[in-house]
Amino acid sequence: MRLFLAALTLVVTTTPALAQWIDRKTPNIPRTADGKPNLTAPAPRGADGKPDLNGVWNGEAPQARPEVAELQPWVMDLARKHQQDYYKARPAYLCRPSGPEAEKFGGWKRILQTPTAIAILNDDLTYRVIHMDGRTLEANPAPNWAGYSVGRWEGDTLVVDSNGFNDKTWASRYGVVHTEALRVTERYRRSDFGHLQYEVTYTDPKAYTKPWSFKSDMRLGADTEMLEAICEKSSDEWAGTLSDASGTGVTVSPEKLKGYVGVYRGIYSGKERTYEVSLSGNALIAKILGDDVEGGLGAAGLDDGAPRPLMALSDTVFEGLGLGYQFIVDDKGVATHMIVVHISGPYKYARVK
Amino acid sequence: MRGFLAALLLTVGAIPASAQWVDFRTPGIPRKPDGKPDLTAPAPRGPDGKPDLTGVWNGPVPDTNFDPAIAPSWVNDVIRQRGQDYHRGRPLYQCLPNGPEADRFAGWKRLLQTPTAIAILNEDLTYRVIHMDGRELEANAAPSWMGYSVGRWDGDTLIVDSNGFNDKTWLSRYGQPHTEALRVRERYQRKDFGHLQVEVTFTDPKAYSKPWGFTAQMALAADTEMLESICERSSDQWIGSLSDAANAAPIVTQDMLARYVGVYNGMYLTNKRTIEVSLSGGQLVAKIIGAAAIDGGEIRPLVPRSQTLFEGLGIGYQFIVDDKGMATDLVEIHNSGRSRFPRQR
Repeated sequence: MRLFLAALTLVVTTTPALAQWIDRKTPNIPRTADGKPNLTAPAPRGADGKPDLNGVWNGEAPQARPEVAELQPWVMDLARKHQQDYYKARPAYLCRPSGPEAEKFGGWKRILQTPTAIAILNDDLTYRVIHMDGRTLEANPAPNWAGYSVGRWEGDTLVVDSNGFNDKTWASRYGVVHTEALRVTERYRRSDFGHLQYEVTYTDPKAYTKPWSFKSDMRLGADTEMLEAICEKSSDEWAGTLSDASGTGVTVSPEKLKGYVGVYRGIYSGKERTYEVSLSGNALIAKILGDDVEGGLGAAGLDDGAPRPLMALSDTVFEGLGLGYQFIVDDKGVATHMIVVHISGPYKYARVK
Repeated sequence: MRGFLAALLLTVGAIPASAQWVDFRTPGIPRKPDGKPDLTAPAPRGPDGKPDLTGVWNGPVPDTNFDPAIAPSWVNDVIRQRGQDYHRGRPLYQCLPNGPEADRFAGWKRLLQTPTAIAILNEDLTYRVIHMDGRELEANAAPSWMGYSVGRWDGDTLIVDSNGFNDKTWLSRYGQPHTEALRVRERYQRKDFGHLQVEVTFTDPKAYSKPWGFTAQMALAADTEMLESICERSSDQWIGSLSDAANAAPIVTQDMLARYVGVYNGMYLTNKRTIEVSLSGGQLVAKIIGAAAIDGGEIRPLVPRSQTLFEGLGIGYQFIVDDKGMATDLVEIHNSGRSRFPRQR
């Protein structure tokens, strides 16, 4: 059970935090006749005529998955190894800065823009600075966590080039590493008052066969305030690996497993979530249906479509990639509910078919 | 020796990092005819006419002059216990944000000022925000590491009031605790282009009978750039305590100790440092003097580990002696390496 509980801590930092004040009116923003923020009003501009990105922003963690062919084999091998280890070496789980990690573009952040510098302040109290004073990238910057970033305007699009990353951070939470040769290009466009689109491209000839990128967007966090979400407990003490887990699994008869096959629906952090549980050979598989896989809770890593096997810890309790799954059964052994257990608490999903 | 070495890790976070690019020319700053930054030029102002504090700043650890008489016994007990434990519970040593700690006003930071918010970006990649959009403090702010700060201009002085701190942070590296009732007031004055002064006052009636504080001085770091200094290794694994060290201490005679008394001068990283070693009540004590002081010049007792090797609050002090046992040099030992200080007198 020690292994099981340790593994559950994996999800500590993936809990989507509802981290804001509830009812403070943001001053000086355009409002509709009924007093609500007018998020489709034109984007504001600064004294220099450039779009002004100042504000509190929030967005889903982007779905940033490089194709396997875009990664050099050693990077893919390392990604699989990180998956085996429950991603416990992910910098955010070690309470370290996430650097250029794709998922860092999701979540709460405040942008502070001056003519000479833009700061992006994250809710984990880390930040980065984009120099806007006309300087160019350093040829040989000291490698660091947040990198070294310079920005310029191309029309109404902010183009940011970064280098100078150390090789301790990941490019994605799915264990995709990078080298110190990494270059990141970001393009930001505030299309209207309430929406900020961005596109991020990773170029690292020492790790990737070609540049890969993703697009996503953020919404203005109006009439609210960003709160801190600090990592206080590192993953140093997580124990076990996926293969440990399969090695210690108990055997549950195929008849019992059949009783758990079905579709379960419930609410996770304010949103409806549906799990499909099926049998593949003699292994039970759980899969989150739909694209609401915020923070990757249900995702099995880069091989997203791959089966996510549940190891049996008892007749009714299973473990799958760091989450606990408990089936509540009726007197015939047929599941009526599934409870997904992690550090933020148990979540009950009723069987719908 | 295991306890001793572990304790030396304590100084990791205390190393004044020379954390900057060397050859960068800051654009848009006033310069003298010889091209050097003119740090006594008038302070710049924004379009709103207010002083503009934007820039990279650096300064020494302020001297807090804390008076234990204003603290009840539980507070003084906490301070004493934290000292006993080599201050290993200090948030910074645990890789946690240091919140309102006085030492936060030292070291490298970048200020970014807009009309509605000011961000203070620290070299450890933490930051805080001062809201300038006219909002008031929250009566019931959710306790946080950095607190909730609102600022306003009083003439050319920026006045910042903060509350909403959790009680996990300290008021200085020496372990003064505070409660969630803490209020902090800061008064920032950019006296000229190159100098920024901050007066800080801590008010916490649940922990101190009256407000206390200090003044910090920062200098504009021109023609350079700030680099990161990230805590990657928490103090969780430090072991030992001051009393462990004292109990295991060998006896060094008063006569021998007297031969180490003197003033030692040298360089620590790129800063000049003077260490004054004296006897106080039969015990050897060291005091770091000068702007490069890591501790505002308070006394640190030296506990003997051998006849020439001493430990003082987690730093090792080795005396190099001549054939009469008189010290000629003092070597300071910690995680960043050894620094040699020849004896001056």
